[in-house]
Amino acid sequence: MNKPLLQGALVGVLLIPAAAFPASDAEVAELRSMLGEMKAEYEQRTRVLENRLADAEREAARRRGEAAKSKPMTATVVRSAPTASPAKQTGGFGALTSGSAFNPQISVILDGNHYYDGIDGEGAALVGEAFQPSGGGHDHGHDHGGDEEGHGHGVTSNGFNFREAEIAFSATVDPYFDAHTYLAVDGDGNLDLEEAYLQTRGLPYGLRLKGGKFLSKFGYINQQHPHQWDFVDHNLPYLNLLGDHGLQDTGVQLTWLPDLPIYTLLGVEALHGSQEVFGATLGDAEQAELNLGDTRDGPRLWTAFAKVAPELGENHALQIGVSYAHTNQHQEVHSHSHVHEGEEEVHENGLAGNGDLWGVDIVYKYDADAAYGQGDIKFQTEYLRSIKDLSIRSSAHEELIGSPRKFTTDGLYAQATYGFAPKWTVGLRYDVLGLTNKVSGGESEEFGSSDRWTLDLTWNLSEFSRLRAQYAYSDTLVSGNERESFNAFYLQFLMSLGTHGAHVF
Amino acid sequence: MIQRIFLVLLGLLVLASTSAATVEVVAVSPSMGALVREVAGARADLTVLAGPNRNLHTLQVRPTMMRVLRGADLVVAIGAELEVGWLPVAIRSAANPKILPGTNGYFEAAAQVRLLDVGGAANRAMGDVHPVGNPHVNMDPVRMAAVARALAGRLALIDPAGASRYRGGAEGFAAKVDRRVRSWRSKLSGVPGVVLYHRDAIYLLDRFGVPLLGTIEPIPGVPPTGRQISALTAKLKGGRGIVIYTPYQSPKAPKSLATNLGWRVVELPMEPPRGSDGDGYLGHIGRWVNTIASAK
Repeated sequence: MNKPLLQGALVGVLLIPAAAFPASDAEVAELRSMLGEMKAEYEQRTRVLENRLADAEREAARRRGEAAKSKPMTATVVRSAPTASPAKQTGGFGALTSGSAFNPQISVILDGNHYYDGIDGEGAALVGEAFQPSGGGHDHGHDHGGDEEGHGHGVTSNGFNFREAEIAFSATVDPYFDAHTYLAVDGDGNLDLEEAYLQTRGLPYGLRLKGGKFLSKFGYINQQHPHQWDFVDHNLPYLNLLGDHGLQDTGVQLTWLPDLPIYTLLGVEALHGSQEVFGATLGDAEQAELNLGDTRDGPRLWTAFAKVAPELGENHALQIGVSYAHTNQHQEVHSHSHVHEGEEEVHENGLAGNGDLWGVDIVYKYDADAAYGQGDIKFQTEYLRSIKDLSIRSSAHEELIGSPRKFTTDGLYAQATYGFAPKWTVGLRYDVLGLTNKVSGGESEEFGSSDRWTLDLTWNLSEFSRLRAQYAYSDTLVSGNERESFNAFYLQFLMSLGTHGAHVF
Repeated sequence: MIQRIFLVLLGLLVLASTSAATVEVVAVSPSMGALVREVAGARADLTVLAGPNRNLHTLQVRPTMMRVLRGADLVVAIGAELEVGWLPVAIRSAANPKILPGTNGYFEAAAQVRLLDVGGAANRAMGDVHPVGNPHVNMDPVRMAAVARALAGRLALIDPAGASRYRGGAEGFAAKVDRRVRSWRSKLSGVPGVVLYHRDAIYLLDRFGVPLLGTIEPIPGVPPTGRQISALTAKLKGGRGIVIYTPYQSPKAPKSLATNLGWRVVELPMEPPRGSDGDGYLGHIGRWVNTIASAK
């Protein structure tokens, strides 16, 4: 008997929605069409997604196919990239490299030799002390106010010598700078900062700015580290007019590569002027004693250079450069002795002034296209001329004070290497200091020159190791009228550890 | 005099601005140049740095390379450290921020495709090894088609107005490759294999399933000794094959191996002739295919 009531209640409940939203036939039709549209839209989206999935699957299959097609080979292992393709990792914009993550690129160069000369091992130092009236920077026995022990590349004696381990780090700092650091550790463990500089990446108009401690772009060989030389030791003009390290200083360099049809590079440098030979200053005590004046604020050394390289086809490369350097402060002390009433008296003259240095360099390379450098030729020559315009500031002979002294010494080296067999090169060098070797001004005198012939044989076992034998005959002017001739032999090894190096021209 | 210099400079400026209508592209080698020609046609003003007989790994930087790179909008390299001895320093010295690695203006073919010989010990006792992978992707026409597509994408970023030309060029090249690859596949099926000097043509061998029977140099960058050549001879004696070396590799060892085995020895370049377009490149691959097939 409750059944009809229950049914009625159910009908009522079911009708409530209809009653609450009274629906006409038109409304029902609209709802239906909306549902239909939604369904169609979802179906289309699903189809798009299905298509994309199918595409992805096809691509994956294609890649699998590509990988699977590599047949085993008998030579060595063939492996494919472990996960994502390299393109994915770098976005395809970078350079693929084995270098690891954010560590700087590191390389170490080991440079050792066995040396022998016929004059008790004095020869290696002597070639850097060839006579010039200005005395160069080698004021025999005078302290420059700095520690010179183990500082040079040329501390070589008869027997085994470990010249240096050069440790190089380089990296891109951020989008604006690259930076490089070169440390040299010599055989006694002395550490020398060879170079540490930043270089801009993004300046417009072909400009680049370098700052820090670096090897000047004056000349050609000045920028090279010893392991890049084609001979074991440095040439006479650089050794005697610039010192073991060449123009290595702290400052800034601006270069400009204009967009011209012929390669032309122009540059200027402002350098602090802490030099050993050209632009040398003495210690405080000596400056006071010899009335030379204080060391001026830097920059004291300025350089300007231009390089031009014509297009000669891909087998030939020629570069011609002109360089100039000026130092606004150069000091040196000259000593001479008198025998006075049977006793020897040493007199010291203090000189100060400024200096100019000119350089011309020509480099030509022939690339023979053959295996392991066979047939390649490299010819390189530089001329340097140093003019120091000084005056005597102090002397035991008072009449000399204020008298001008202009010291002019020049030098030249010319060298050639030839790849006479795969991996083997032979090199010949002639270098001379003092084609002009004179003092003028208050007193005038001209002196002779020092020269040397060097022959070397280099075996490049791989891109990373090199053995070299070198013979040199030197005829050195050791004082105004005294010469020393000797033979010198080197056996050298150069080992390159770490990242694959790239050298500038 | 000064007026004359001024006029010359003005002339250069005008020249520079008129040529700016196209994209200045520098390709390291003729195969990369061929891709640029195929993809960009006249829209690219192309310079190729090295000729076909060059070893791109031992090439040395020349100042004139810097001059060319100075005004470039895009550098197209093979990459994966192949040009590591000269290209990075040439790019840095060119003082052109547009082409530094990581920017739109630096393109490496090897970074666009899957590489072979990836990994392995970073141990130079095994020679001049490059764990990043074998860079010689230019020897695989199929990978080159993929590189062409990627290059078209890159060129479109630099010169959006030419996007459709670039895409069309890349697709056209891919179609040419497809057609050739089918005939090459049948030509090369069942060939006995090849002895190479260096693992520089492995992408081609790998693509067509040609066995690499051995390499003349025992490890990369180190020439073989007489004893190593004798050992290789002993291993291959009685079999069939062909010895192929490139113009910059020493012919002595390949020739003596081939004489010992009674095989043919052929010198083939890794690169098509200078000035090649896509067809020139495919002709170059065709010469390799015919040479390898001749050992059947």
